[in-house]
Amino acid sequence: MLLVPCPNCGPRNAADLSYNGESHARPDPTTCTPEDWRTYLYLRDNPSGWLRESWYCSSGCRKHFTIERHTLTGELRTPILPGSKPGATKGETK
Amino acid sequence: MASSVSHLDPMPKVSIRAADDTVAAQALGLAFGSAEQRDDTLVVRIRPDEWILLGTGALALAAELDLSGYASTVDITHARHVIRVTGTHAADTLAKLCSADFDEAMTPNGAAWGNSIAGVTCDIVRDDHGGERSYLLLFDGSFVAYFLGVLEDAAGEFSSDS
Amino acid sequence: MSHRLPASEGEVLDRTKTLPFTWNGKKLEGFEGDTITSALMANGHHIISRSMKYHRRRGALTADYWDPNTTVQVGDEPNVRASHRKLEAGMQVSAQNVWPSLTFDIKAANRLVGRFLTAGFYYKTFMKPAALWPTYEHVLARFAPGGEVDLDTPHGRYDKRFAHPDVVVAGGGPAGLSAAIAAAEAGASVMLVEHEHRVGGHLLWGTEQDRARAAELAAAARTAGVEILTNATVTGRYEDNWVAISERSHPGVIERLIKARAKTLIVAAGTIERPYVFEGNDLPGVMTSGAVRRLITMYGVKPGTQAVVFSANESGDAAIDDLRRAGVSIARVVDALTGERIVSATGSKSRVKEVLLDDGAKITCDLLVTAVGWTTPTSLLNMAGDRPVYDANAARFFPAGAPDNVLATGGMIGDGALDDLLEHGRSTGELAAGRAAVVRHRLQAATARAEAVNGPEPAYPPDERVPLDRWPHPELFRAVTHGIVDYSEDVSSKDLYSAAAEGFDSVELIKRFTTATMGPSQGKLETVNTVAVLAQAKGDSIADVGTTVWRPPYAPISLGALAGRINEPTRRSVIQPWHEANGATPILAGQWVRPDHYGDPAAEVRNCRENVGIIDVTPLGKLDLQGPDVPKLLSLLYTNKWMQLPIGGVRYGIMCAEDGVVLDDGVTARLGEEHYLMTTTSSGAARIWSWIEMWLQTERPEWRVHVTPLTTGLTSINIAGPNARALLGRLTDIDLDNDAFPYMQVRQGTIAGVDGCIAWRIGFTGELSYEIHVPSGHGLAIWERLLADGDDLGVKPFGLEAQRIMRLEKGHFIVGQDTDGLSKAPVTGLDSLLRLDKDDWAGMPEVRWSLESRDHPVLVACQPDDGTVVPEEAAQILRSGTNEIVGRITSSRMSPTLERSICLAQVDRAFADAGTSLEILLVDGRRITATVNEHHAHFDPEGERLRG
Repeated sequence: MLLVPCPNCGPRNAADLSYNGESHARPDPTTCTPEDWRTYLYLRDNPSGWLRESWYCSSGCRKHFTIERHTLTGELRTPILPGSKPGATKGETK
Repeated sequence: MASSVSHLDPMPKVSIRAADDTVAAQALGLAFGSAEQRDDTLVVRIRPDEWILLGTGALALAAELDLSGYASTVDITHARHVIRVTGTHAADTLAKLCSADFDEAMTPNGAAWGNSIAGVTCDIVRDDHGGERSYLLLFDGSFVAYFLGVLEDAAGEFSSDS
Repeated sequence: MSHRLPASEGEVLDRTKTLPFTWNGKKLEGFEGDTITSALMANGHHIISRSMKYHRRRGALTADYWDPNTTVQVGDEPNVRASHRKLEAGMQVSAQNVWPSLTFDIKAANRLVGRFLTAGFYYKTFMKPAALWPTYEHVLARFAPGGEVDLDTPHGRYDKRFAHPDVVVAGGGPAGLSAAIAAAEAGASVMLVEHEHRVGGHLLWGTEQDRARAAELAAAARTAGVEILTNATVTGRYEDNWVAISERSHPGVIERLIKARAKTLIVAAGTIERPYVFEGNDLPGVMTSGAVRRLITMYGVKPGTQAVVFSANESGDAAIDDLRRAGVSIARVVDALTGERIVSATGSKSRVKEVLLDDGAKITCDLLVTAVGWTTPTSLLNMAGDRPVYDANAARFFPAGAPDNVLATGGMIGDGALDDLLEHGRSTGELAAGRAAVVRHRLQAATARAEAVNGPEPAYPPDERVPLDRWPHPELFRAVTHGIVDYSEDVSSKDLYSAAAEGFDSVELIKRFTTATMGPSQGKLETVNTVAVLAQAKGDSIADVGTTVWRPPYAPISLGALAGRINEPTRRSVIQPWHEANGATPILAGQWVRPDHYGDPAAEVRNCRENVGIIDVTPLGKLDLQGPDVPKLLSLLYTNKWMQLPIGGVRYGIMCAEDGVVLDDGVTARLGEEHYLMTTTSSGAARIWSWIEMWLQTERPEWRVHVTPLTTGLTSINIAGPNARALLGRLTDIDLDNDAFPYMQVRQGTIAGVDGCIAWRIGFTGELSYEIHVPSGHGLAIWERLLADGDDLGVKPFGLEAQRIMRLEKGHFIVGQDTDGLSKAPVTGLDSLLRLDKDDWAGMPEVRWSLESRDHPVLVACQPDDGTVVPEEAAQILRSGTNEIVGRITSSRMSPTLERSICLAQVDRAFADAGTSLEILLVDGRRITATVNEHHAHFDPEGERLRG
């Protein structure tokens, strides 16, 4: 099981968190086309490599954050809380 | 008893939510993830922006807080229950049901954190008593019948060497 | 125990404890310390099973955990590994896969038609016609291997535990022990996992001196504080050294799953002795050198009387010494190093009788021992990403490289004298402890709650271990004849040749087509021989063929251990014990144990319509919302408008997901200037809390709203019926007059003397009703007061079923029942709540497009024309006279109020107009008709009762 570095709590078992998938910006609902909106809803890049995705520390600090995960190696890096800048965080141990 | 499980309710409890820059946050202090006994109230900074007050003085202490700015309180006396697990095998009992590391180095006395225990989301406070290993578990009170049963089942393994 | 040797110093038996047991009903005896196999062999029973396909007689081959043909039934437990399982007094042991008996087996006829049972036989033969598969399956099941499962077996006690050791050592041989000791002495917490019943590895069947060293190492490990788990296996290594350990030696439990997060994993799995492939290699009496050494030295069993030993290494030579010591005469040593080879073996009915050598000699014997080389069980390293490489000079695979936190030592990586192995283990243990200390330091530094206790980070130690030598070994895989490669799956080298000829030329394909390496030993004995035979068949090198990918589990783990204790969280309101004491039938709704009814739900409905009923609705999700931006939040999450809700107001709302699908619904009350109480569906409470946090944290971080779940903090009781006002009025200081407290309003006050109670007037039952939310410490007392004080008003409790009926009578939809994962909000028909004139709300674009296109189904109420028939929920609605599905019944009940059946249904728009006749297909095949109502409500559509 992956050890996911929460920016607040430090490394936690992936099962302690909720996975919300690839991060996507929400289009402006008043002006977007159906294509824009459905891209936001359904289309995922699913790259072979680094992917920024959203996690929710549901049993710990209850904060949402994003993190980069390498889809081939499982490495995780640069967890970021919304509104804060990437930088040295407590999360990383490897 | 090598590992005893006791249900402590009703015990007064208050949740305080306060942003960093508020008077309330300054007054409550503490580092995220730690707890401190202040007179008859245990003050726990359980999340970066949430404190839980536990004990007979909890409501009075909460009432004294200046809630100006982005701060609020909710009486959670009835919403959440508290179980105490105490004894030389208290950590071993919890380690059967919870993924947290109960080692002294990772969760020393005064540590507080959220974790699921046997499928129940808990706030855990390491709160040793008289040098004896002890944990307070705060959880949604509707689980109490199930949760007591599970904890007693887990502690049973250690009852023979009490 | 006719084949029992005199007591000797190295044995693990306690001859003072005789254990009676039965074998196929026959009474036998063994000693404490015996395995089932050693006890059987001590009694002269060498045939322990029949093979899977050909039902050939089989006996012990390796006499250890991996022994492929010693699987037996013990009492009601099938598939017990007899060469590993310790004998216990009173065990009832029987052979599996035999019918009618071990010595006379009808299915052995398979042998006669063996040429039809080649690789892929079942795949090819039973493919067509597909319609006959159920028949094939039934017949094949009789021929399937495995024991008998007794469905009445009581559930045994299994358990789990988490662990966070610095170092986990997989393998308790000399290198593993040495590593564990060194790591522990360097300050690491160490867990040593050994699948045998005692640590020591091959030292246990070695010389007297070896055994003394094993005892010293075990004692040193205990002194150093190593946690030693025997009869335990590391079954898998997953991301970030998440290590699964199955332990079968913990007191009081059958098997325990340990989920360990190891900072460093040391793999010291040693080597496994390979069987040799030749004609007759599966006859009872053909064994590996390790098997006879273990049987003689550890278990005091004389494995035969006259032996041929085919030896290519020191293990074979040691076996010769052991056999002589046990009084077995050595008929011939076939020295592989001088080029001598065996060709084939023939047997009597019960065991090997004669061996043919390549010089033409025929040697009579009843035991044939082979020592032809080693397989490296690299499974755990593979799971960490290692891809082993073949070394022809040493005739085995070696690990090629794993992540920094996984280290290998011992026989897996090379050869050496005992002191060399111990030294390599020691340096590996030190390295592992050093690396674990760095990981531990980083974990501590990264964990908020332990900030104060950390010093500077230690340096990360590089790998400066002196590698072990690799001793040369002849490549010995197959004789000139064909024999069994996979004993547990009954796959021969001939099968592999034919499969290769058919074009299955990759080892991964061969494995799946022939099932070689897919049996219970998971390739430990078979993989390298499979690869070697395939290489021969193709004319390739072993290195080119490569090996299969080894996946978890390393060794089988029981389903019981994976389940552990059955911990299914359940929730109860404080009134639930009262319900159960007062005749309620409990029902599990989500996690909540609730009263379904108190005997007669129809009577409960009628009492609500005529007098007054109370229901415990505590599971209703309740969220306390505080802050200046709550109205904006409500506007964003609900489809309707919320900015103008006055203090004291209550409003109903629907929430959508971003795809426009109905997510939840409920009412929210404004209690104060910046204070609201939201209710959600019972099952949606946790989801909606996360949903709100997601919006607040990621999309609207500037908004100020605090959310606190209060579902359990407030006991919720709905008081419904014409006498509701009279009943509640007796207990509260809140003014209940219709003008002072009209429909869809909230008030706060005292109920039964309890402060801080909330009451709101809503009406899902269609009756005048108040929903009260009281501090749950007083919930039971207030419930009992309502019943006691309202006795003359006819108050009675009602359960979930009565609530469901009354909701349906009123046509209120239930999220997840009348809507599903495809139901966008317009399906509900509540268009007036879908406010497209707001700036934004979750799911709004999809709802807008859906309303524009009008291509969605619609929820309608309908009534079967024959009111005595209640169509099943999910029954299909068809276009009349056709099989075209145009909708489905989503809810249906017999209405006690209307005394007829009533339904909600989702239908295509063309079938939604009032008066439309619907054709419903019942489960029994009958078709009935129903008519669409004008309103969703079957009863009191104007809502006069609830507003009165």
